[in-house]
Amino acid sequence: MDYEAVIGLEIHVQLNNATKMFCDCPNRPGDEPNQNTCPICLWIPGAMPRFSQVVLEKATMAGLALNCEIQKENAFDQKVYYYPDLPKGFQLSQSHLPLAKNGWLDITDENGQPKRIRIHQVHMEEDVAKLVHETEGHTPISLVDFNRAGTPLVEIVSEPDIRTPHEAMEYIRSLRTQIRYVDSAECSMESGTMRVDANISIRPKNSDRMNTKVEVKNMNSIHNVGNAIAYEITRQANQLQKGEAVVLHTRLWNPDKHVTEAMRGKFEGPCVPDPSVPRIIVTDEWLNTLKARLPEMPGGKAERFFKDYGLSRDEAVLMSSERNLSEYFEAVVNQDIPPRFAVHWIATQLLPALKERNQNVEDTPVTTERFSQLLSMLERDEINANSAKEVLAQLFDSTETPGAVIEKGGLRQVSNTSEIEVIVDQIITENRSAVDDFHNGKTKAMGFLVGRAMQASQGKANPRLIKEMLSAKLGNNT
Amino acid sequence: MNPDNYCYIDHSPTETGENGTLKGKLLSIQPNISVRGWPTEAGSVALEGFRALEDATVTERLREAGAKITGSTRMSELGFGLTGDTTPLAISDGDVDIALMTDTMGETRLAASIAGAFGFKPSYGLVSRYGLIGLVPSMECYGIMAKKPEDIGSVMGVIAGCDNHDLSMPEYQVPDFGHRGKIREPKVVIGTVRECMDTLDTDERKAFNETLSQIRKMGLKIRECNLTDFDLFKTVHNIIGSVEASSSGGKYDGVRYGHRARSTENWNEMYLKSRAESFGLLIKTYLFQGAYFQFENYSAFEDACRIRARLIKKTEALFNEVDLIVLPTRRRGINAADTSTIEEVYDAFSLTLPANVTGLPAIHIPGSVFREENDPGLQLIGPRLGDANLISVAAALSHTTLGGK
Ligand SMILES: [Zn+2]
Repeated sequence: MDYEAVIGLEIHVQLNNATKMFCDCPNRPGDEPNQNTCPICLWIPGAMPRFSQVVLEKATMAGLALNCEIQKENAFDQKVYYYPDLPKGFQLSQSHLPLAKNGWLDITDENGQPKRIRIHQVHMEEDVAKLVHETEGHTPISLVDFNRAGTPLVEIVSEPDIRTPHEAMEYIRSLRTQIRYVDSAECSMESGTMRVDANISIRPKNSDRMNTKVEVKNMNSIHNVGNAIAYEITRQANQLQKGEAVVLHTRLWNPDKHVTEAMRGKFEGPCVPDPSVPRIIVTDEWLNTLKARLPEMPGGKAERFFKDYGLSRDEAVLMSSERNLSEYFEAVVNQDIPPRFAVHWIATQLLPALKERNQNVEDTPVTTERFSQLLSMLERDEINANSAKEVLAQLFDSTETPGAVIEKGGLRQVSNTSEIEVIVDQIITENRSAVDDFHNGKTKAMGFLVGRAMQASQGKANPRLIKEMLSAKLGNNT
Repeated sequence: MNPDNYCYIDHSPTETGENGTLKGKLLSIQPNISVRGWPTEAGSVALEGFRALEDATVTERLREAGAKITGSTRMSELGFGLTGDTTPLAISDGDVDIALMTDTMGETRLAASIAGAFGFKPSYGLVSRYGLIGLVPSMECYGIMAKKPEDIGSVMGVIAGCDNHDLSMPEYQVPDFGHRGKIREPKVVIGTVRECMDTLDTDERKAFNETLSQIRKMGLKIRECNLTDFDLFKTVHNIIGSVEASSSGGKYDGVRYGHRARSTENWNEMYLKSRAESFGLLIKTYLFQGAYFQFENYSAFEDACRIRARLIKKTEALFNEVDLIVLPTRRRGINAADTSTIEEVYDAFSLTLPANVTGLPAIHIPGSVFREENDPGLQLIGPRLGDANLISVAAALSHTTLGGK
């Protein structure tokens, strides 16, 4: 039988607020254990939560970025469970009155078709402490690090609209792009600021039944989410084919073995309204000030890049995928660099160079001014592409202008025809067999001769002029 | 000062606030109100050895106003009921002028009725709860007991008002507690609640009517009001109170402070055993009951929340007809200081807990017209934030009619 998967994702995103959610402790879970704690996040008796206004703003911006309706009224509940990572016995979360509902994200499916994934709700919740398991002599001990306790999260719950691992990965990427655009969170699965749980069930193709689902956790990259879902679909299909029923439970992805493994369920009860965090009333006025802060979002921006700058669809999406990158790109274009030329150099040269040096477009010494100057010299044929790559590498280590680097390195392109003619004549003389090959119809020989000529000019000659001159001297080979 | 009545007596000369409005006043607290460094065990083994890390907002404000906090009296486990509570003795023995305690279901008013003093519960949200180690966050607040109603007004003048540590306090105009001891509106209309009167037995009704006729003699109007579902206050408090206790009491797990059971196999067992060894039978039953409603009968809890909202609306609507509501404070023949089951506790507090369910201010006025054991007491409930006026009326009533101090 042909099965299809019904997949919903629950994504926890750690907001990049400076403080925790209910106290002024720094939101830096990675610091020395238990450095960032106070009576509130340790839940010492008598302490009361003090909800951060900035967290509310960051969470609301995330909700807006996910096209949600921000609710007029939202409130916190106590989600009860007993576990050492949660010493007060409940987690402050929003279940009855979430922050935002009814959002959506548009993705592209395997066939290149647009598809809308609906978002059920976005709510705020505090993170719990981290357990560290060690042994003391022969005794296993568990240590609790409260740095993460009370750090701000939003949980984004999708509708079960996702059908394939590809769609799941696209949805996560799109969600990450949107939330990063409004600067609410980093959304990195690798560094733990985004955690994805997948609810997966399968059913015969074209049925609209909702079957028992299995929850899969513990994926540490977007790629792993795809792998885990693919594995789980196969596992459930095999089980059904064997005539076994799928039962509701939670499984953990094992990234080493590439399988999902059943885990013991955590006991969780219904939520009780919390009386100590005030109810949040969202006024139109406040919401409008936040909406006014929304930047141009990636979808609209890509469309504009496509229309106004004549980029291809792929180029437009690439240049708008990160807000800082899109701003870098536009700054370069505004310095009179042809857009597609800029895209080409950003994508093939700048980005790999940044990655190699662990830099970002916003903090690299290769500012848009310096990069534009370089591209503009390249465009005017004052240097050739090889030299430009060399200059770019040097711009990372010096504060000089590209012009100064070029002069110093003697990299200015030779476009003087008489100088080039000397080189071309010499190459023709020295490479008779290649010349013969060319005359015998081997077009590749032309490339070889151009290469030798470039070499002879120490890379400084204008390759277009060399080729023109060679062609003129050797005549057409066809 | 009988040391048996105290779990901590402060001998340090900690008076501050030279010219404060409470200068020279002696004040006792309960060991669930935070004073930095003091043992703060809230009457429970679950907090054994715990010492407060910070001052509660009220503690800080009281000291700044010149009050001397003399020590903490003994209290019931986590402030649920009055069993084992020695606060009335601190007042009746004259150890202190003022006693600060928690009021979850009317403990201050009933303790005052035992001590022959005034017992006041403010509007919910008027006094910061920061530093209060409580059990039922949506019902509990600080309560003030004193022989002189002026002292209650003075304390409220000091502790009421916004606090950056307790954001659950709504924004409001803090009542002016400056006009104490006088009835500012001599034509106060006081309402009795018919559905409450119906629950009284013959003797209780007779005694209470006698009190009412004294009030009438003073020239105050008394009008009968209707508050349907009055009997549901008790059920609503019981269900919501136990669920909140079960949920917010989860932090008393014996891991970072308090009693921790020895030699357990794993952490689930550690929780179970520690909590089993820590809590008394009454609290255990209450927590179990709360867990039952939360996990097994959640719809009953939701119903209780809905009914609570309705009761608040109905009660507040009464203040369109009358200025204050009058109820007896206690039931005849039930000793609030000696209760051992949930039912007994709720029976004992059935007349005071409506003010906790609704969050309205309420005061017990001392002075008996009958022999002590028959006296159902006199309790006034005011509109939200009508705290200052309520204290004034109570003071005037006791001075002029009831032979109070
Ligand atoms: Zn903290």
